[in-house]
Order: sequence, then structure tokens, then C-alpha cells
Amino acid sequence: MSSFDMSQYLNVFLDEAEEQLEIMDEGFIKLEQNGDDADLLNKVFRAAHTLKGASASMGFTNMAGLTHEMENVLDKLRQGEIGVSQHLVDVLLECLDALGQMKQEIISSGQDQGIQTDDLVTKLKQAITQEEGSGAIPESKSDGRLERERKAGFALSDLTEVEKNLINSAEIKGYYVYRIKVELSPGCQMKSVRAYLVFNNLEDVGEIIKTIPSTEDIEDEKFDNSFEIFLVTNEDQNKVSNIIMSISEIEAVSIIPVSLSNRDTDRASSELHNEQRQKTETQAGQQAQQKQGKAAPKIQVQPKKVSQTIRVDVERLENLMNLVGELVIDRTRLTDVGETIKGKLGADDVVESLEEITVHVGRITSELQEEILKARMLPIEQVFKRFPRMVRDLAKKANKEIDFIVEGQETELDRTVIEEISDPLIHLLRNSIDHGIEPPDERRQIGKPEKGTVKLNAFHEENQIVITVSDDGRGIDPAKIRQKALEKGLITAEAASRMSEQECINLIFTPGFSTASQVSDVSGRGVGMDIVRAHIEKINGIIDIDSEVGRGTTFTIKLPLTLAISRSLLLRVRENVLAIPLVNVVEIIDVESDKIYSMQNQEVTVIRGNVLPLFKLDAVLGWPPREEKTERTKLPVVVAGISDKRVGFIVDTLIGEQEIVIKPLGDYLGQIPGLAGATILGDGRVALILDVRGLVEHTGVRSGYEQAN
Amino acid sequence: MQEEKKTVIEEQLVVFQLSGETYGIEIANVHEIIRMQDITDIPRTPDFVEGVINLRGRIIPVIDLRKRFDLEVSEYTQASRIIVVEVEGVTVGMIVDSVSEVLRLPTNNIEPPPAMVSSVDAAYLRGVGKLDEQLIILLNLNKVLEKDEKEQLKDESLQEVAAALEE
Repeated sequence: MSSFDMSQYLNVFLDEAEEQLEIMDEGFIKLEQNGDDADLLNKVFRAAHTLKGASASMGFTNMAGLTHEMENVLDKLRQGEIGVSQHLVDVLLECLDALGQMKQEIISSGQDQGIQTDDLVTKLKQAITQEEGSGAIPESKSDGRLERERKAGFALSDLTEVEKNLINSAEIKGYYVYRIKVELSPGCQMKSVRAYLVFNNLEDVGEIIKTIPSTEDIEDEKFDNSFEIFLVTNEDQNKVSNIIMSISEIEAVSIIPVSLSNRDTDRASSELHNEQRQKTETQAGQQAQQKQGKAAPKIQVQPKKVSQTIRVDVERLENLMNLVGELVIDRTRLTDVGETIKGKLGADDVVESLEEITVHVGRITSELQEEILKARMLPIEQVFKRFPRMVRDLAKKANKEIDFIVEGQETELDRTVIEEISDPLIHLLRNSIDHGIEPPDERRQIGKPEKGTVKLNAFHEENQIVITVSDDGRGIDPAKIRQKALEKGLITAEAASRMSEQECINLIFTPGFSTASQVSDVSGRGVGMDIVRAHIEKINGIIDIDSEVGRGTTFTIKLPLTLAISRSLLLRVRENVLAIPLVNVVEIIDVESDKIYSMQNQEVTVIRGNVLPLFKLDAVLGWPPREEKTERTKLPVVVAGISDKRVGFIVDTLIGEQEIVIKPLGDYLGQIPGLAGATILGDGRVALILDVRGLVEHTGVRSGYEQAN
Repeated sequence: MQEEKKTVIEEQLVVFQLSGETYGIEIANVHEIIRMQDITDIPRTPDFVEGVINLRGRIIPVIDLRKRFDLEVSEYTQASRIIVVEVEGVTVGMIVDSVSEVLRLPTNNIEPPPAMVSSVDAAYLRGVGKLDEQLIILLNLNKVLEKDEKEQLKDESLQEVAAALEE
């Protein structure tokens, strides 16, 4: 195999491994909650099995070895031989971590030998012995019954009523029914093929009415080295045994005659029966076949479920997005030009067709844009699915009991946003668990259920994604926050006394408010909340806190659907058209010029009892001052918000809302404070996109609408 | 670049006028030459940055070469052009008084820039070419498009690192 081929397979393998690891991760956590769920157990067992097979075929023996051991444990769980315990789940999760490390190792160095698995294997084995010692009594009982039945020549516990009927009627017609156990050679490579040959050959002499495990599982090689068949035939045991043994790689065959009646199992001696059998042979054969059509599994080659997806390089999607951006601009231009031509030529056939084409092109462009946007969308599950495990581990570490509820995983958002949102969410969840949820004792004392609840939710709201992280913990005490901020010198005593409770709570977002080492002093949160906010603002999002002492805290994050296209408010300052992303626009107000006051050299106005600092947008942007041609009586003001800060920007005129494609200003200019990029308008002109965060920072406004005295 | 000079006998230059003097830049760097168009002002940029233009969907910054070289500022005319150049992946439009021609200049006609050849700081020049008694000042585009502030910043941080290392 050439190295190129190998690397291709490696990628497929890594993708698959990732997938199986995720299934197991999710499964183990659920297992811990739900106990013995047969479907779930089968699912994780299959995942372990698949991974074992895949890693073995790629030559990653270390990984295959560990998954093999895990598979053993899971199989025992599945068979009900042992029960699920927290300890067992712990060990399994540890194994999963090791597998994750191996995967990383494979990515970086192409081999998987660096991770020690001996300890884990021992732990797994110990866990099995422990569990076997404790919770498996009822199972051994049923095993005993099965064993007795076997000895007596029966093995009927695995049969359904339909199958029993089948056996019954076959018996009446003088057929033998055998339960055949086929063992494949240990080194057998294509087990399903061997099994298929066994089935095929046996069907020449009789009918298979049941297999254990099911034929589907056998086809998928979901069995160890042996499987069992219930066969209806008129051949004797030796013949059947010979038929099977004629196939290579069969280790052993054991045949047990099955009988539902009390008759002697050795009916071959009865000549009467033999005669009867011959008479009715054809008939019975037909009947048996008919019945089988309904009840008995046959080997069916089920088409493998082909997933209707392809992997596409992200860069290609980005390119497509850019190209569509161009189209969007040209669409608008086309409309403009059409209007101009119409104005010049008036009603004309050609103008009419042009209009028609323009409308059509417009519609298609919109659809294209939407589809490509969708193609870049991923369900937020991509991020959320990692959290149950994390929450579990953190809760355990903190000795807290936590019910973690996740909702809205299917909510889709742009992959660029998804990449950025993970870290802030981890931070918030961590805080909820560490500081929000009280220890079980404390909760009991104050009459709360011992188990705390942390809830993660995502949903669409208009053109935004809303993600909430809420807990029913102790909440944030504004008084403590205020005191802490005073101690740290972040606010003056005078400012502190004027702050509302909400403003106090918002102080936790102030840089330098808290560092990890000091968290325990504060009731509530504070670990790097400024970092959380910075992250969210980086992707044009906003974060709000809603907290009640003793009742819990909810963080609400609002994010744009995509970073490439933004709905923006277009406005004019002098000859320049500027765009402000709508996410950052709180409201638009008209301020009468006599309602503008001066407070400490700062222009302000009062809206709804709150003081709003006002700035001339051109001045903030650093354009030189100009003379007002006419004194305006009403000034349009855009109230912009970033986190809890509110600032009013005085503009010349408002133009309206528009979807704009964000383009970078390029390497030459680099990052310019207050600008997020530029976009091209319908008339081909360039409009600058404002970076509200940068602008607000530039104004030096610290927080909120200030309370009017 | 050095090796090219040895092997290539001629250089192809785009020749333009700026404040009464003739300048040349290598044609390989020239993306295209366009007429003046609306330029969107960008705040908080150096004086010589005129703003940005839309070049078929791309946002391209434009600088005024007269301002860049601290020459006398004049109104743009019908003859004014924007030469869009690309140097090391960075695309920039440069406003010049007019573009005259594309010509071939034998490399051995190029001499290092004398100190007092033009009103432009010698640091921005690559050399001086002579063709039929005509003097063509060859620009070093890398230097022209280099952002002084950036360079200073880099130096400062380097100095800090160096200082920290010494301690």
C-alpha cells in the first residue's frame, strides 16, 4: 500500500474513531444515569467493537487491545452478567480518555504505543470481578436453567412463541430440529463470510428458523467466535455436522436435538415416522418455507446505510461565501442600473425583460446565499456534546450532585461562531458548578433538592442565537460584589453607593475583578468573567446576567448567526456611509438639541430617567471637527450597546437596515480601532463597518446607563 | 531579485510622473492602472492614506504618493491615475500624477541612487536608470509600502526583549 493510500485511510480511521469515541462518551454518561438500558448497551458495545476492528486493521494494536478489554466488559454488561456501577463507569471513562490520547498520538506521530494501558486493563478486570461478586445473582440463576435445559436436550428459553410453533409443526411432520452451535477458528478473518457459508450450506438440507445472535448481527460480525442456529431438517446430526465441518476455519460444531414434545428425541429409529416423513416431505417443506417467510430470519443482504454527505474543505465554503457576497453586491447594482435605464427609456419591452431578469437573478442570488450560509451551519451539538462528561467530572470533583439538562442541541449556527463559543461556555458551566450550586448538605438545609440543576439551552430568536446557562444555586450577591470591587479599587466609594444591584452584578465582568485564586472569597462567580465577555464580544455577541440571591443565576448569550454577513444599520456622517451591526444597536432615538446637557464636560441626555452619554460619531472616529451648517433641532442618535455599556452616537442621517458582507480592510491598513471592516454598497461605493466595542472603549464610558440623580 | 538582475538583461518598467519627475516601478509588481475614482476616507490612518476603493469587489487601500514622499500636494487631474501594485501579498493603490509608458531598460543602465538625485528620500529608491538622456528614478516598493510605525513598533518590542534578556 502506498503511503498516500495509507494516509487517506488514516483520515477515515481517525474520523471514525472520533465518532465511536463520542458515542461511547455519551453512552457511558447515560449509562450511569439510566443503568441497564439494553439499547444503549448495545450501542456502546457496537461502538467499542467497531473501534476495535478499525484500529486492529490499521495496525494500532495498543488501541485495539484496550478496546478489546472494554468490549469484554460491555459484553458482560449487555449479557446482564454484571451491573452498571459508578466505579465501572469511571474506569470506562478513564479508558476512553486513554483512547483519546492514543488518537492524538496517532495524529501527531502515526503510532499509538506511547500510552500505558496495563493499569487500565487491570482496573477493568478488577471492576468485572467486583461486579460479578455483587450484582449478578439473578443472572446465574437463569444461566443454571439454561444449562439444565441444555443437558435435557432442550434449549427453548431463547425461542419466541412463533418459533416454538414452527418447531412444533415441523416435529409433527417428522422433521428434526437441531440447535447447532458453530465455533469459528480463533484466527478466522472474515467471520461473517464463514457464517454465511454455514447458512448457505445448511439451507440446502433444511431451513434455518433462528440464529443467535440475529442474522443482522452475524452479518455485521457482531459476535465473538461462535453463533447458534436452529435448523429444521430431515438429515441426521452427523450429516449436518459434516456439512458444517466441510467449511474451512470452523473450529467445532455441537448439535443438540430440540424437541417440544415429550417424545423420544431419537426418532430416527421409528420407521413409521420415516415413512410418514417421506410422504409429507414436499408438503411440509413448502409449509415450513411459507412460515419461515414470516417468522424466521433469512440472510438478507441489507444495503449498508449510505450517508448522504460529503466532506468539503472549509476554505472552499469560505470561497463560495465570498463569491456569493460579490453576487449580492452586483444584484443590488443591477437593480440600480435597471432603474436608471427605465428612467431614461421609459416603458419599453427591453426594459421590462431587464426588470424581469433582475428580479429573477435577485431571487436566485438570495437563495444561493441562504443555501451556502446553511452549508456552513453546524448544530450546536458539536459543542454541547462535550459538556455532559465535563459537568459530571467537575461535579464529582466538587462533591456535588448535579442534574445537567441540555436543550436545543439541534440549533444551528455558523461554524466560525461555533469555534469561538466553546471556551466561554466551559467557563460559565465551570462557574455554575464550582460556585453556583451549593454542596448537597447546604441545599438540604435551605430546603432545596440535594441535586442541583444546571441547564444549558440554545434557541433561535429572530436573527440571533440565544444560549443560556442557568443554575438553581446560590446566585450572585450584589452587596458582596460591590464590597469586593471597592476593596480592589475598581470603583470609588461614591460610584459604588450609586450603583444599582444589576450594575453591581455586572462588575464581575470588569477586568481584574477576580482571579482564580481569590474566587473562594466571593460568594458566586468571578473566574475570568472578563475573558468570557471578551470572547463573546469578539464574535459580536452580548452577554447578560440575571441572578437572584438564593435562587440561582442565568447567563444569556446572544450571538449573530454568522460572522460573514451581518444585518446592519446604515447611516450617514458627512459624505460617508457607515454601517453598525444591528446586534449592537439598542435603539434609535431623536434627541432634541435643547435636551442635551453638559455633565463634567460630557454631553449627555436623559432617556427614561437614565443618563446617556452622547458622542458625535465623526469626532469619535477621529475626523476633524467641522462647522455645523445649520443648527439642527433634532438629532438622530443611535444608542449602541456592548455588554452592559450604552452609548449614544449622534449621526447625520439614518439610511436603513441592510444585509452586508463583511470584508477586511486588508493587511496594509491592519486593524484600525473602531472599524470592523468594510462592505460594498449597491452603488459600488465602500461603506465602513463600525466596531462598536472599539468605539465604546474609545469613549471611555464605563458602564450602563448612568442613573440620573 | 538579486539573481534575476544578473540573468535578465532588461527590466520592464511602468513609468509615471510625480511632481515633475519621472519614476519607474517594475511591471511585475503592477496589478493594474485605473482612473481616479471615489475614495472612502478611513479615519485614524496616516495622512498619506487616502482611504479605500472597491476594485471589483475587493477593498483596496489607496495612498497618495506625493503625500507619502512629503512632496507638494496638488489637486487630482484628468491625468491622475491609481497604480494598483502588489508587493509580498499586500495590494495597495498608489495615486500618481500620470502614467506615461511602459519601457524596457537594460539593467546595466541602472546605477545606485546618488544622494541628491530627487526630492524623494533616497531610502525609498532602488536606483536610477538612464535611457536616451532621460532619468528614471526607480522606486523600492518594499520600502515605500512599509509602514514606518509598524517598523518602529517591531524595533521597540525587540529592544524590550533584548533588554529583558540582558537583565
